[in-house]
Amino acid sequence: MNTTILAALVPGLPLLGAIVIAALRRSLKGNSAGLLGTLAIGSAFALSVMLFLGHDPAAGPYTAHLFNWIDIGGMHIPFAFQVDALSLTMMLIVTGVGTLIHLYSIGYMHDDARVSTFFALLNLFTFAMLLLVMGANYAITFIGWEGVGLCSYLLIGFWYTNPAYNYAARKAFVMNRIGDLGFVLGLAWLFNVTGSLTFTEVFDRVAGLGPDVLTGITLLLFVGAIGKSAQLPLFTWLPDAMAGPTPVSALIHAATMVTAGIYLIVRSSVLFELAPFTQDVVLYTGLVTALVAATIGVFQNDIKKVLAYSTVSQLGYMFVALGLGAYSAGMFHVTTHAFFKALLFLGAGSVIHALGGEQDIRRMGGLKGAIKVTHLTFLLGTLAIAGIPPFSGFFSKDAILANAFDRSPVLYALLLGGALITTFYMFRLYFLTFWGAYRGDKHPHESPAVMTVPLLVLAVLSVVGGLLNLPHVFGGHEPMKHFLAHAADGIGAERLHLEASTEWMLMGLSTALVVLVIALAHGRFAKKATLDPEADELPFLPRLLARKWYLDELYERLFEKPYGWLSTMFHRVGEGWVMVPLMNGAGRLTQRAGQVLRLAQTGNMSFYLFAMVAGIVVFLLMTLYGR
Amino acid sequence: MVLLALLLIPFLTALALMLARPTNTARHIALGSTIASLGLVALIWWSYVPGQTWVPVKFDWAPTLGLTFSLGYDGVSLLMLLLTALVFPFIIAAGYRQNLQHPSMVNALLLFTQSFLFGVFTAQNAFLFYIFYELSLVPVFFLLLYWGGERRRAITVRFFIYTLLGGLMLLFGLAYCVTQTAPISADFAVLHALRIPADTQVWLFWALFLAFAIKLPIFPFHSWQPDTYTMAPLQGTMVLGGVMLKMGLYGVLKFVFPIVPFGVEHWRDTVIWLSIIGALYAGIIAFRQQDLKRLVAYSSLSHVGLLCAGLFAWNVYGTGGALYQSFAHAVLVVSMLYIVGALKERTGTSELGAMGGLKGKAPRLAALFFLVMINAVALPLTQSFVGEWLMFNGLWQVDGWMAFAAVATIILGAVYMLYAYQRAMLGPDRWKMEMPDAGRNDHLYLVPLIAITLVLGLYPAPILDLVNGPVQQMLSTLTALN
Repeated sequence: MNTTILAALVPGLPLLGAIVIAALRRSLKGNSAGLLGTLAIGSAFALSVMLFLGHDPAAGPYTAHLFNWIDIGGMHIPFAFQVDALSLTMMLIVTGVGTLIHLYSIGYMHDDARVSTFFALLNLFTFAMLLLVMGANYAITFIGWEGVGLCSYLLIGFWYTNPAYNYAARKAFVMNRIGDLGFVLGLAWLFNVTGSLTFTEVFDRVAGLGPDVLTGITLLLFVGAIGKSAQLPLFTWLPDAMAGPTPVSALIHAATMVTAGIYLIVRSSVLFELAPFTQDVVLYTGLVTALVAATIGVFQNDIKKVLAYSTVSQLGYMFVALGLGAYSAGMFHVTTHAFFKALLFLGAGSVIHALGGEQDIRRMGGLKGAIKVTHLTFLLGTLAIAGIPPFSGFFSKDAILANAFDRSPVLYALLLGGALITTFYMFRLYFLTFWGAYRGDKHPHESPAVMTVPLLVLAVLSVVGGLLNLPHVFGGHEPMKHFLAHAADGIGAERLHLEASTEWMLMGLSTALVVLVIALAHGRFAKKATLDPEADELPFLPRLLARKWYLDELYERLFEKPYGWLSTMFHRVGEGWVMVPLMNGAGRLTQRAGQVLRLAQTGNMSFYLFAMVAGIVVFLLMTLYGR
Repeated sequence: MVLLALLLIPFLTALALMLARPTNTARHIALGSTIASLGLVALIWWSYVPGQTWVPVKFDWAPTLGLTFSLGYDGVSLLMLLLTALVFPFIIAAGYRQNLQHPSMVNALLLFTQSFLFGVFTAQNAFLFYIFYELSLVPVFFLLLYWGGERRRAITVRFFIYTLLGGLMLLFGLAYCVTQTAPISADFAVLHALRIPADTQVWLFWALFLAFAIKLPIFPFHSWQPDTYTMAPLQGTMVLGGVMLKMGLYGVLKFVFPIVPFGVEHWRDTVIWLSIIGALYAGIIAFRQQDLKRLVAYSSLSHVGLLCAGLFAWNVYGTGGALYQSFAHAVLVVSMLYIVGALKERTGTSELGAMGGLKGKAPRLAALFFLVMINAVALPLTQSFVGEWLMFNGLWQVDGWMAFAAVATIILGAVYMLYAYQRAMLGPDRWKMEMPDAGRNDHLYLVPLIAITLVLGLYPAPILDLVNGPVQQMLSTLTALN
């Protein structure tokens, strides 16, 4: 089949799925909506695999031009897709993990009255996400960028009768829009200086740009990435986004959408390589976010919230990699994180499902006997994220740590510390959920096969995913890095100057410490029988962390409240006291001057018309005569 | 002759309605008339050769004044004709659910307005334009005065005085320009060839621009707008927000840019900043509005501020984007106001505080509202995005900070629209009574409008091609002047 048609079908099928399911949502009974949705994504995955197999990375990107989208003056924005190593990697993740999550959702959403709407939205999301990663220019990427934001909004607020969920959805959309402000401005600037938004053209033209311009553009693009990928200071929407159904958290808020910011920077690596200041900003933003989110994660008691902060933290690690110029390490971690974080979320969903909606880990415990498959897969996911060799997370996190060490041992130490905190809260979560005695009052039951099969597949991927980019010290050839180097110029420039012995030493150190932390967590939480107190009853420091550094309260005081106040003030004072009286004054002046003419107001429309036309004529005659 | 027919179809229908006063069939007749007009405009569009100006109708009317009755069109006029012809059937159709008294009079007034608007957008003579421009105000004036809501007298008079004041300034400026021609002529072709001294243009700019600044309106000439939009009957607001404010935009293109280019150059930054300040100001105010209709009024004010800023960016992206957006905005205003009407019909109010949880009872209406709303917040693949995107790029070419302030409106828009949607539709179902979901008629009304926004959002070429030529041409003559 023609590659252009093939490429167009990859996002086309999920779109079609969304439209068909939405149109037939009333007549689709039982699992048919879910099956249709899964079929659409599954076919898109199959097509992505075909594209992948047919793609020759050395031949460079393939552009699938569909039609001219915006074409005015000097602006020519085609509706076109770019098939290259980078977009293929993302396509495979999005459709592959997406298919598993769709399949899982058939079981998870089985009893929901609006299951058809759910699958229509999930398909629509996949469509938007594919536009994002496949676009051949920034504008198409931006369509997807906003599209995934919209679907995220709709799915977070899926259970719309709950005001808190609606608020969370709105918060996510608005915070993303704040990021989009940067994105749009960056694109306008980029277009102004290069006259194009097509990736290949832009990257050819940036060499002549001044460093200030490039720094400005990349900083603005990074603002967009901060919003979408939930970094400081805009990350507070992501934990709240857990209001959505758990498969949504797995697909959108862990595996795919939130990595869009990383994708954007890898895609723009040519620009970022020329803007060292921005790279430092990316690095430190990622670092601070990684550590802050990790510390918050330690004190969360909602199973999904723990995972959410973990996601924020892991995204921080990816940004650190990008800031170091280690784009392939960032993408590697995107990939493995998609596997194990999707697994963990779906596992959490299975737990919630088993307990009839319970999300508080203080009311869990001892579940490993009752839900065996979920337990086993969750353990594998936890080991992967903790970075125990040979699980996938070990390799991808190690790649980032090695690059950090190459830059500075302090940076390495901080990131390693963050990784140990990650291990600690993940195993706290694991032990509190599955070990000890059951502290709740439900009757746990294992989920159906439609849910456990995706768990098993993801578990296998989480275990062996490291092979995708096996480093040289293990006898691998970093295949993923070499594959991606064809698409992102920044990857070709990557240099890592570490001796093999240093690498072994670093890995040994981190592994030993991780094992130590697991033992620590085991000692504290494995046999825990008492409930932790509510956040308000904790001492100051834990309370600060449990309350996520009071960031929500701070933003409320700093932005939300003043904004509402400003709105009221503008309305009451600006409009009520200044604008309208000003105009009324002018009106009254006119009226008083026209007091005499009031006699002429007969209420007869034709007279008015006549008077108006006559007035015009007289006025004109006067002007003409006076000349 | 086609153009004369275009003016006469609504005019004669209106006259007939006024004289015969049919009660039951008035809406059908009016709807038929507007559909005929739409067909005619479609025909004109079909036969239009891009980049050309057609002046097929030309009679001398009052040669001593330079007044000729000449009608014609170029791509920009055609765009305006298209949007007028397109939204009027919807404006008339909205009347089916309003049940205003004296439907024949209401529809006659609406059709008079349409006729005069067609006149405005086809007039090739400045005086003729002015006559139509002021005439179009008259039927709207009566519509507001007799069918408006609370405080209609005070608000209508205020609105009327305000716009008339601007109109008189325009007339003065126009008369001044005409006196500069020899032999006397007010044809646009002649006026556009005028070379007025640069220092004169600096003050003449405001004489010509003020009327349009009020009509649009831009900050700080806007204070008539929120009250008037809120008080007016639904169809009146649709006419004002959907079509009439585009006269301001069109007027700027026909009067201000070509006649006083140096004046524009002198005042451009001022106008853009005023417009953007207004866009932000109105966007912030919209957030806390309790009345959905008033919220839509402020939202429109915010959109129009952006529109005017883009227009004055004075490059192909800004000006072209503003024109594109004016089309998108017309569709948006009509569909959004229809939603306001549909909600009021069901709940008996447009107070957001009294709504909430409607989605449970009316999920389809909620879906339609949502689809209209994504156009309001200019999501990509809706029509509004194309316009805003172009305007942002156009503004960036002028000044990065202008673009920054303008793009900030996308945040404000998301804040107030999503909040309004949530307050109206989401949350627990609190309605004890039965409530009809969106029915066949609601779908017949909204689905075509939504389809237009999505189709033109995905494939904007038909409209962009229409404006690309005239805007480029106008800009090249301006560059030649400087």
